[in-house]
Amino acid sequence: MTSVLEFIQFVLAPQMITGLSLGVAVVLVALGLTIIFGLLDVINMSHGEFYAIGAYLALALGAAGVSFWLLIVIVPLIMIPLGYVVESGLIQRVFNKPDRHVTTLLLTFGLGLVLEEVLKVIFGPNTQRPPTPIPGAFDMFGIIMPNYRLFLILFGFAIIIAVALVVNRTPLGAMVRAAAFDRNMAASLGVPVSRVYAGTFAFGIALAGLAGVLLAPVFSVFPTMGRDFIFMAFTVVIVGGMGSIIGTVIAGVVLTQVQVLSSLVVSPVWSDPIVFSIMVLVLVLRPQGLFGRIGHA
Amino acid sequence: MPSAPSKDSSSFLAFDRSGLAMRASHVLVAVLVVAALGFAAVGAALNDTFFLRLATEALILGGFALSVDILLGYTGLLSLGHALYFGFGAYVSALVLKETPSFWAAMGVVLVTTLVFGVITGLIANRVRGVYFALVTFGLAQVAAKAVYNTRALGASDGLIGIPIVPINLGFTTVMSNAPVAFFLFTLVFVILLYAAAAYLLDTSFGRVLGALRANEHRVPFLGYSTHRARLSIYVFAAVVAALSGALYPMLRGFVSPELMFFATSGNAVITVVIGGVGTLAGALYGSIILTVLKSVIGTLTEHHLIVIGILFMAVVIFLPKGVMGVVRPGIARLLGGGTR
Repeated sequence: MTSVLEFIQFVLAPQMITGLSLGVAVVLVALGLTIIFGLLDVINMSHGEFYAIGAYLALALGAAGVSFWLLIVIVPLIMIPLGYVVESGLIQRVFNKPDRHVTTLLLTFGLGLVLEEVLKVIFGPNTQRPPTPIPGAFDMFGIIMPNYRLFLILFGFAIIIAVALVVNRTPLGAMVRAAAFDRNMAASLGVPVSRVYAGTFAFGIALAGLAGVLLAPVFSVFPTMGRDFIFMAFTVVIVGGMGSIIGTVIAGVVLTQVQVLSSLVVSPVWSDPIVFSIMVLVLVLRPQGLFGRIGHA
Repeated sequence: MPSAPSKDSSSFLAFDRSGLAMRASHVLVAVLVVAALGFAAVGAALNDTFFLRLATEALILGGFALSVDILLGYTGLLSLGHALYFGFGAYVSALVLKETPSFWAAMGVVLVTTLVFGVITGLIANRVRGVYFALVTFGLAQVAAKAVYNTRALGASDGLIGIPIVPINLGFTTVMSNAPVAFFLFTLVFVILLYAAAAYLLDTSFGRVLGALRANEHRVPFLGYSTHRARLSIYVFAAVVAALSGALYPMLRGFVSPELMFFATSGNAVITVVIGGVGTLAGALYGSIILTVLKSVIGTLTEHHLIVIGILFMAVVIFLPKGVMGVVRPGIARLLGGGTR
């Protein structure tokens, strides 16, 4: 009996909390991805690189003496014009071509290649790690966890809820949903569709940047960091249902729990195939994912 | 994904023009062969090894890109994990060659195993369409690459090294895989045969069904064709083309590594096809040569050649939807007598 309790206290619970912080991290990245897809029908293959840019901005500005709390605000603000320019300057150029999915995917894939290489040029190929903004650890019922992980979970969920509220409960969100549901109808009702598109893309990019700031102290910063993370984010978006916020949150939390808990049973090497099998299973049974998409109720 | 509107009454004419475009592709491939023969002659005269081997690799990657174009150009399905089959072919070939250095045994085993592997993975990938297809193929390759990367028996992260020199018995002569000129010429013939097989297949009634699938998938079953079987068949065919190209890789380099299955390899093939020209087949071969030349030229100036290639790629996506072939091929088609419009 005690051994079971000890297993829970020292193995299971810490693993699940670590998994939860990972889940929040994945959801933050996936959220931007799913919003961009839900509205623009664009698979943003460069999303992972924007996440990396956010992390590098945090690293560079942090080294220049900017406090972590300020970074949480500044970095997303820097990302917004970047995202706006990418959408209106690049994506809109191919937006109305017949094969929008493939063309925009290719374009953002190329953009990701360039951005990753630019990061290598500026910051070098090595792994760096900013100091933990909140040092120390806490002890809850004998379960010891770093403070920053707890902050990450709470703050991450706050962001997720705020995003869901903005999309679902504000006039701004209503414009976004209207443009996603029927572009022409929204335009005829006076929604500035092209600005909404660029703005939404920028918003998704800002979320990726914010995720970069928050996760840099946990997962380290290196030029290909986005590429490693994006597979999980894509899986979450697919399973949750492209364009669905609630689906992304649920899929993100569940899949990361599957990942960390399965690694207790089998070698961690095989946790990715397990997660992927779930994705394939979901796609086979429900190709549209577990939940619908923005604007499509 | 909204279904594409059906083609108007000019589709009959479009077929005729597509036949002409394919003939133009054949002419361009013939030009490529002549250029390659000239290159081989110069290489042989100068006793070169480095550039001949680089060109051989470009051809092998061209064969791989060809398989990506078969999917993307003729069914509209973008595979982001096609390196899975290229790497699969390379690994199977390497494993066979380490047992017995027989070219035909390696090719036979690669062909049979890829057919089985392609059907299994194809059944999974073809459950979905559009962007989902891209992401599922991406995921399949990612998982396979991780599995190989962590499997001791397959050499894990080191890959398989020490693959012996392979004598390729062609009946009338034997090509050694370490002879630069002979192996280059052999690879040239091999890749041209892959091209010919693809061009032939896509010109049959089966190829027409694929074209119909692309235009309007919902209408094809009403004409009595199985969409499912057609999609799976072309998927497996593309997998075989990729795997057979991959099977040459260990013969050229003497080793295989898990990088062959990584996303970078898949992505490279996509870049190759897009720069060369989607749906032209010849574009895949030209794209591979263009990319190899670019990489070695820019690579001597900076190690960050991906910036240049990435920007070039984006420019092609935006400004040249049919890639380099889109610029060159219409001119050739006109020369062949396409002044009907």
